Amino acid sequence: MIAQTAPATQSPAVPPSSAAPKRRRRKPSLYRTLSRVLIMLIVIVQVYPLAWLFLTSLRTEQDFATGDPFALPSSLTWENYARAFETGDLGRNILNSFIVTMGANLLIVLFGMMAAYAIQVLGFRLSRFVRGLFLVGIIVPVQIALVPLFIDYSTVNLLDTYQSMIIPLAGFALPMSIYLFSSFFEYIPRETYEAASLDGAGPYRIFGLITLPLSLNTVVTVVLVNSIFIWNDFIFANTFVLSEDLKTIPLGLQNYIGAMGKVDWTATFAAVCVTITPLLLVFLVLNKAMIQGLESGATKG
Amino acid sequence: MLPNRSRTSVLVFLLPPLLLYCAAVLFPILQSLFLSFFSWNGISDMEFVGLQNYIRMLTADDVFWRSFFNALLYLAICLVLQLGGALVVASLLTSLRRGRELIKTLYLLPAVISTVAIAFLFVRIYSIDPVGLLNQLLHWVGLGSLERAWLSDVNTVLAAVSAPEGWRFTGLYMLIIYAALIAVPKELEEAAVLDGASKWTLFTKIRFPYIRPVWITTTIMATTYGLRGFDIPYLMTNGGPGQSSELLTTYMYKTAFTSTDFGYASTISVFIVIECLVAVGLILFMLKRKADS
Repeated sequence: MIAQTAPATQSPAVPPSSAAPKRRRRKPSLYRTLSRVLIMLIVIVQVYPLAWLFLTSLRTEQDFATGDPFALPSSLTWENYARAFETGDLGRNILNSFIVTMGANLLIVLFGMMAAYAIQVLGFRLSRFVRGLFLVGIIVPVQIALVPLFIDYSTVNLLDTYQSMIIPLAGFALPMSIYLFSSFFEYIPRETYEAASLDGAGPYRIFGLITLPLSLNTVVTVVLVNSIFIWNDFIFANTFVLSEDLKTIPLGLQNYIGAMGKVDWTATFAAVCVTITPLLLVFLVLNKAMIQGLESGATKG
Repeated sequence: MLPNRSRTSVLVFLLPPLLLYCAAVLFPILQSLFLSFFSWNGISDMEFVGLQNYIRMLTADDVFWRSFFNALLYLAICLVLQLGGALVVASLLTSLRRGRELIKTLYLLPAVISTVAIAFLFVRIYSIDPVGLLNQLLHWVGLGSLERAWLSDVNTVLAAVSAPEGWRFTGLYMLIIYAALIAVPKELEEAAVLDGASKWTLFTKIRFPYIRPVWITTTIMATTYGLRGFDIPYLMTNGGPGQSSELLTTYMYKTAFTSTDFGYASTISVFIVIECLVAVGLILFMLKRKADS
């Protein structure tokens, strides 16, 4: 948690305003101006394509086919959105993505917390070995699991189900979650546990009454960071899901390509805009928590 | 260790996560290893072929080697964009007084967008008819001779499919490096400035050594992510034209699910895992040794 709070406590320490003007007058820093220009340029590169995506979704088709791509749309239209909803079952896709994201997150948080509790708090003889075992999952690419899981799923009839996506998504995210929870549990003082133990609380009550409530912040971090990846997962969904009813957003979007040999780009972009909105809203509202989560996740490594 | 714990309580907490992890991660790895010694199309009987798949992969499969080198180039482009870009922006950002939070948010935005959406977006950015953003931009700055269909030109397609992946995650790595940079003790930096250190020496002698542990972590993250890159090349070009943007991952996927050659696909999978482990080992070896010297 040290790293997580560090940025917050540091930011007020940015040069005191009284000293700043004097220094600035002495050397009208070329370096600072340059770095500002550079930052702006890079931000434009990062953001403009997304703005363009949105603008294009409001263009008419002729405008898109003939016009200068940088120009503002000559007229705005919502028709693309109407066509987007006709072509695909966007509501269904969003619902499916939501179910998969929730299901996987539940497993990641609950199991991550449990494993971290067993390894970090309860402790056992092979705990170092088990911790190492979980580390493998951080390094290994997810593609290795595709063929074996495809075969296993078809023997136990799990192909084309929500579980077929949730299991590997949760499994591969588990190591990072365990890691984040263990590093948080390290900061819960031993005395807290010892006092509770003296009062007669067993490991289950301590988990439920002390560890769980204290870790809510870490839960938020873990959920936010994982949701980005799970919501957008393409490879597991593409491999294990076949029926339209179960298609998540990334697969649903693919339906817009080649449906009739050619692509209706403006409608496709409208669909893209619709599907990125939920996560984008969550991100914009909770970006502070998400950014802190991402920062702390790696700086602790 | 908690005083009042029993063996059962450890198992109650450890077993469910461990089972999930074994089912989804560990067991499939072993299974891939096992399958890599067989020839199997998923329907007929499995046939044990020993090392034959490995021999075919390493000595007789041009597509495999092509994909391997493509994947290395893809990785290199991603690393330059992600780590290089991240380091530059994070350093610049520390000199900024206001708007840091806003820039961090904007910069991270692409990481939230799904790869399918990004693939669509970049297909249009690279397109020539109707003219896409990139070609229009080249035209304006007087480099019209460079205009081309970036995704169907065998010389540019690999770079063209690598760039979106780099673009997408630069913000993520920037955040991590930025968090490390602002944790560098101010006293250290001020002392160096008083001693007359230039911006560059300040960076190479104080800041960078201080953030080295985080740099190692991010390099490992970016490398393992780069080696598992799949979505964007698969969606944008499906490895084409020819094999000019085929990566090991896309080749493995097609071998498994288009040619249904499960045994050989598993052999490629095993190779990818070894490749990742070797890469991580190399990074640790190189960066740790430099730190010691």
